[in-house]
Amino acid sequence: MEILSTQQVSFTYPNATTRAIQDINIQVQQGDFVVLCGPSGSGKSTLLRLFKPEIAPHGSLEGSLSFQGKTMDDLEPSMKAKELGMVFQDPENQIAMDNVMEELIFGMENLGFTTEQMRKKVAEMVNFFGLNHLLDKKTDELSGGEKQLVNLAAILLLDPKVLLLDEPTAQLDPIAAKDFIYMLQRLNEEFGITVIIVEHRLEELFTIANRVIMLEKGVKRFDTTPRELVSKLANHQTMRGYLPSAALLYLSFYPGLYPEEIPLNVKEARNWLKAQNFDSEEAVLVDNLNNQPILELTEVDFRYEKGKPPVLYNLDLTIRGGEWHAIVGANGTGKSTLLKMIGGIVKQQHGVIRYNGKKVKKWDRKSLSYLPQNPKLFFIQDTIKKEYDHIALQHGLENAEDRIQELLCKFNIKHLQDRHPYDLSGGELQKAVLIGTLLTEPTILLIDEPTKGLDPESKRALGEVISGLVKEEGLTVIMVTHDIEFTSNYATRCSMLFQGEITVTENTRDFFHENTYYTTVINRITRNNRVHPVVTLEEAKRTWLVQSQS
Amino acid sequence: MVRGFRSFHPIILLLYYILAIAGLMLYQQPLFLTGGFLAILLANLILDGGKELRKWRFMIMIMGVLTMILTPIFNHKGNHILFYLFENPVMHEAIWQGLIISLTLVSILCLFISFNIVITPDKFIFLFSKFFPQWALLIMLTMRFVPLLRKRLNEISDVQCVKGLSVKSGSIKSRAKNGMFLLQILLTWSLEESIQTADSMTARGYGLGNRSKYQPFYMKRKDWITLVFLLMSGSLVLLGWWLGDGVMALLPILEPFWLYGREWFYLFVFILLIGLPIWLEGKELIKWKYYRHNK
Repeated sequence: MEILSTQQVSFTYPNATTRAIQDINIQVQQGDFVVLCGPSGSGKSTLLRLFKPEIAPHGSLEGSLSFQGKTMDDLEPSMKAKELGMVFQDPENQIAMDNVMEELIFGMENLGFTTEQMRKKVAEMVNFFGLNHLLDKKTDELSGGEKQLVNLAAILLLDPKVLLLDEPTAQLDPIAAKDFIYMLQRLNEEFGITVIIVEHRLEELFTIANRVIMLEKGVKRFDTTPRELVSKLANHQTMRGYLPSAALLYLSFYPGLYPEEIPLNVKEARNWLKAQNFDSEEAVLVDNLNNQPILELTEVDFRYEKGKPPVLYNLDLTIRGGEWHAIVGANGTGKSTLLKMIGGIVKQQHGVIRYNGKKVKKWDRKSLSYLPQNPKLFFIQDTIKKEYDHIALQHGLENAEDRIQELLCKFNIKHLQDRHPYDLSGGELQKAVLIGTLLTEPTILLIDEPTKGLDPESKRALGEVISGLVKEEGLTVIMVTHDIEFTSNYATRCSMLFQGEITVTENTRDFFHENTYYTTVINRITRNNRVHPVVTLEEAKRTWLVQSQS
Repeated sequence: MVRGFRSFHPIILLLYYILAIAGLMLYQQPLFLTGGFLAILLANLILDGGKELRKWRFMIMIMGVLTMILTPIFNHKGNHILFYLFENPVMHEAIWQGLIISLTLVSILCLFISFNIVITPDKFIFLFSKFFPQWALLIMLTMRFVPLLRKRLNEISDVQCVKGLSVKSGSIKSRAKNGMFLLQILLTWSLEESIQTADSMTARGYGLGNRSKYQPFYMKRKDWITLVFLLMSGSLVLLGWWLGDGVMALLPILEPFWLYGREWFYLFVFILLIGLPIWLEGKELIKWKYYRHNK
C-alpha cells in the first residue's frame, strides 16, 4: 500500500536562482526502509523536510505531496504531528525538557492524551527500549547515543506510521550509531514502520534498507535496491566514496559486474574472497622511526575533582616530530581530556610534559593550535576573513595578508572569505578553522574528532589537506577520534587509550593488523582468509597482484 | 523512600504546610510554640537525619537569639518594669513578646527546611502547573537551558583559551573584553541551535492547542483520609484561636504562662497537626524495624 508519495515536486529557496529539487516523483510503500542519499547539496534534506509540512523550509513548492492518498494540505494538523515522526541530526538540540520522563511525554501532552494513556504508553515504550534506568535522569546527564534513543522513543510514543530521519547518527560514536540503526531495523521489521532516512554512513544501512533513492543536484538519479545501486555507482566519481567498504573491495578487483554477486557486508565479502586467488607482494613499509620526539608526556595523572577516580593515570606518551598521531579508544576513556591537557587547557596533577626536551610550563600560543570538535566555536568575528585578521593582529603576525590569501587558495575556499562562519557546510567550516589554526605557523596541531558529521567526500578532502601539511610542511598532528576508517587511511601512528593509560602505540598498519575487533572493515574481511590480510583498500590495491581477467 | 510522609499527594503536603504555618502564626503562646518547635525539629530529624537542618543551624540560632534580645530593648509596652537599660525601661511583657516572636520565627524557618526536603522540584512544578500551567511549561523549558548554556560556555572558553583568548589571565580590561567575546559566541551559537529545538517541538505537535498535562500524582485512599484529618484538626485549631485559647494575652493584663482547662485540649490538637510528619514517618520506621526482627 502506498503511504507517502510525491508528484512532480520541485522546490526553490527564496532568493535562489536554481531549484533545490526538481520534478521528484517517489512512491513509498508501507513498510519500506528507504535510504535517501546523495552528495552534499543534492537536496536530500530538503526533500525529507517537505514530507513534514510543519517544519518544511520556506520557499516556493510546485507539485504535490500526499500521505495515504490525501494531499498534505488536506491533513489535520494533529494528524501530521502524530503520523509523521521526525528525528533530527543533533541529539542535544532536539531535547526540550529538563528530565527524561517529561521529554518522553512532551509530544503526547501536546496532542492532549490523558494521563492514563500516557502512563500506559510510556510503560510499554520504556520496556521495549530498555530505558528504565534513564527515566528519572536529567536529560543533560545522558550520553549522545542515549539522547538520540530518547528522541526516537519520544516520537514513537505518538505511534507514527512513518519515521523520517535526518542524519540521526552523524553526531554519534560508531557503537552508539550501530545500536541506533539496529533499533531502526527492529522497528521496521517487527512493527512495519515505514522508515525514510537521510544518511552518509551507509556501511550498515545498505544491508537493512530495501530501497535506495539517490539524488544529485536536486534530481532523482536512482531509485532501486542497494545491490543494484552499487553496480550503477561503480564508476561514479563522488558517490563511490559513500559505498560500503565490502562493495568497494569487490568493485576494485572485480569489475566484471554481476549485481547479484556484489557483497554488501563483511560476511558476504568474506565468502566472495574465499573463492578468489590473489597473489601478493610485501609492501615496503616507510617508517619514520628516526624522527626526533617533539612532545613527551611522562607519568601524567589527571582527575577533575579531588576524591573522584582519575581520568588519566600514569600515562606515558611520546609524539615524534612530523607524524600524524591518532589516539583512539572507547567513550569516556579520557581521550578529549588528554588532548585538553596537551593543549594546556587543563593542568596535570602529576608528571611532566616536555616539548623539544624542555618542560612545558605555559605554551607559547603560536607553537600549538587546536581544531575543536565543534568548529563553530572557533569564530568570534562575523566573517571568516575578519577572524583571520583578528588572529593576525592578536599575535602580531607579519605578512599575515599574504599567508591568509595563500592558505585560502590552497584550501580552495577563497570565494567564501566574506561569509558568516555559520553559513558554511561542515566540510568548508573545517577547512576555514584549519586556516585559522595554521596562521601562526604552529609546530603542533591538536584535532578533536574532525570527521564528526562530515560526508565521505569532505572527509577525504580534509584527510588529504592535513596529510599534505604533515608530509610537506613537517607539521605534527595529534588527533583524537572514533573514526577507525579515517585513521587507518591517514594517520601514521596510533595509540590506544584504555583506563587512563596508553596501552599500545604502533604504526597504523601494524596497529590495525593485530587487532581483531577494533579494526577496519577491510581488515575484518581479509584476515584469516585466503588472501594476504590488509587494512585499507589502498593497501589492497598496492599489495594484491590481480591476475588478468580471463 | 516510597512510603511515609513524602509519598503523599503534593496538594495534601502543601495543605499541611499552609496549616502548620498558619497555626504557628496564630498561636502566640510560648508553650504551644515550644511544643510546635520541638515537633518540627523531630520531624526534620526523622526526614533526613537533620542533614539540611545542620547547614542552617547557625543562621537560625543567631536570628532566634537576636529577636529574643532585641524585642525587649525596643518594645516598651507593658505594665511591669523589670529594670532599666541605658535609661530605657525593660518590660516583663516585652520579654514574653520577644520569646514568642523568636519561637515563631525559628519554627517557621525549620518548617521551611522540611518543606525543602519534602517538596522536591518535581512536586513543586506539579503544584505550580496546577495554578499556572503556561508558566510551569516555560520554567521547565528554561530549566533545560541552564546546564546546557553552562556546558556550552565551558566548551567555548576551552577552545578560545588555546587561541589565546582567556578570562583567567591578563589585565582586568582585557579579561572583561574577552569575557564579552565569549558571551557573544554563546549567544549567537545558542540562537542558531535553538532553531532546531523549535523545529523538534513543532514536529511533535507543540502549539496545536488543547495541551494536556501528565499527572504524575493521584489521590490515593490515604490522601483522602489525611485530607479529612487536616481539615478537622485545622478547623479545631482555628476555633481554638478564635476562642483565644492558644494566645497569651500580654495587654492590658498579662495572662499566666501555664495552661488551664480547655487549652490543654487545643495544645494536643495543635501538636497532632504540626507533628503529622512524625506520625507518618515514625510508623514506617517502626514497621521496618519490626520487619527486620521477624526475618
